[in-house]
Amino acid sequence: MSESNVITVTAEWKKPRPSIDHDNEAFFDGLKQHKFLIWKCKTCGAAYWPKAYCQHHDNEPFAANMDWAEAKGTGKIYAFNKHHTAFSPGFKDEIPYWYALVELDEGPLVSSTLVGDKRPKDIYDIGQKVEVVYEDHPNEGFTIPKFRIIG
Amino acid sequence: MPKHPSSGKYAIVGLGVIAGNQPDKSERMIAAEAARLAIEDAGLTRKDITGAIDLRRSGGGGDRASYSDAFTRVLGLSNNYYYINGRGGALAGLGMATAMSFIDRGISDYVCLMGAVTDWSQAQESKKKGYRGMAHAEKRGYWGKFVGDSTAVSHHSWMAARHMAVYGTTSRQLGAISVAQRQWAQMNPEARMYGRPITIEDHQNSPLLAEPYHMLDMSLVSDGAVAFILTSAERAKDLKSKPAYVMGQGFGEVSSTVWWDKKNFTHMAVEPAKKQAFGQAGIELKDIDCVQFYDCFTAEVLFQIEDYGFCKKGEGGAFVEAGNMAPGGTIPINTSGGLLSCYHLGDLTGLAESVRQIRGDAGQRQVKDCELVMTTGHGGELVSPGMCSIHTCTILGANP
Ligand SMILES: [Zn+2]
Repeated sequence: MSESNVITVTAEWKKPRPSIDHDNEAFFDGLKQHKFLIWKCKTCGAAYWPKAYCQHHDNEPFAANMDWAEAKGTGKIYAFNKHHTAFSPGFKDEIPYWYALVELDEGPLVSSTLVGDKRPKDIYDIGQKVEVVYEDHPNEGFTIPKFRIIG
Repeated sequence: MPKHPSSGKYAIVGLGVIAGNQPDKSERMIAAEAARLAIEDAGLTRKDITGAIDLRRSGGGGDRASYSDAFTRVLGLSNNYYYINGRGGALAGLGMATAMSFIDRGISDYVCLMGAVTDWSQAQESKKKGYRGMAHAEKRGYWGKFVGDSTAVSHHSWMAARHMAVYGTTSRQLGAISVAQRQWAQMNPEARMYGRPITIEDHQNSPLLAEPYHMLDMSLVSDGAVAFILTSAERAKDLKSKPAYVMGQGFGEVSSTVWWDKKNFTHMAVEPAKKQAFGQAGIELKDIDCVQFYDCFTAEVLFQIEDYGFCKKGEGGAFVEAGNMAPGGTIPINTSGGLLSCYHLGDLTGLAESVRQIRGDAGQRQVKDCELVMTTGHGGELVSPGMCSIHTCTILGANP
């Protein structure tokens, strides 16, 4: 993981805050340590995001046969859109922004905005390899995952 | 007094209880675990559960009446419908009354009814931040707001985008849906867009809000109300209006299989809903005279045209571009103008139009010899990273 995969932002946060609850708290803690966690079955290795009971067999109470594990943090673009309008005032300085659905190498789909220099050339241009970029907000106490096209 | 025919026809066969304070667990995990225990207690598996009803105390602040990413997806139930039922503390009774109708009509053999709360734990947490009582109620489990998933079009536009990238569908083809519905609206004086026809160029020139969606790919924001009275076919005979008989109903949830297959950005949960509804009615697609598809955005219409089989998957763009759904086409779709051009009252927009078409009250846009009409609905909580899960199909007929 290179340093360029971390962005530190100290400006005041004017957007909605992440909805952190019991089920994704560990995931957001992982982001702060610059780790992208996925929820894995200890029995069969199946990967989930967000949290789920394993779909392949019976589960232990509260899915105790599952745990968070570090993902590679890479995937490819599955679909994306380009926002020309800020539907929430906190985003008006960022438009246009690309909001992408990313298929992680481990399987699950995750969504976030694209950062870096590269963008898809049009709506038909999908499948690019991406990696996660960690946007630290030390004043707010959270880290946000974003994606950058690397190939 | 003789027993009612429904007496003794239903039974509770499994029970799961999570008792006591649960300070370190989410409501959805407690819900999932209680459901898992009930299924185990009944000697069943997740695959046996084809319906799920969430018994949830409504009212109070914020979005306490619904959390996104329901326990059904977390546990992996095979349910064809999930929704919230209840009024204040009247939960189990109302939920059971609802579930019985699904069992009665052969839609579900086993319905999982579940209610969960974590109000005590949440109140302890919010008290530390200076809040009191139920101030903790908010939309939980919603992923994308903080990265720009601000509104429905922020994720619904992926459906259009993915379909375009996979099948080569074009923005002009999506625009053909918008134009066709606007043509229908020109024959409906109640439609918001009556007297305001559009061309494909108008669609293409309307602002790109969340590309690939233009403004004219999006449904209207409306005021209004629709109410309807349901009774038995027996009673209907003696009333003054021509009855629109419920011939069949079906339900599907993306979270059952489509979501796991990552097909929810090109498909809707039509397959189980169609099978149930058309099976009950004993009809085939070719028997349908008129369709009111749920049309929050243009791509949803395209998906349903394909998923119901009016054309093959991926060929919906060419189908609508050839004018098949427009006035004079092969199948009249969204004849009131729909959510795009009439008004947005959820699937009640389509239902009201279906009743009028069955009664022959649709004026200039009346479909000739209209005997069977299909109305669909779509919605649900947003499951990370973005989907509306449920699909409902209701077939109304002129003859019982
Ligand atoms: Zn497993």
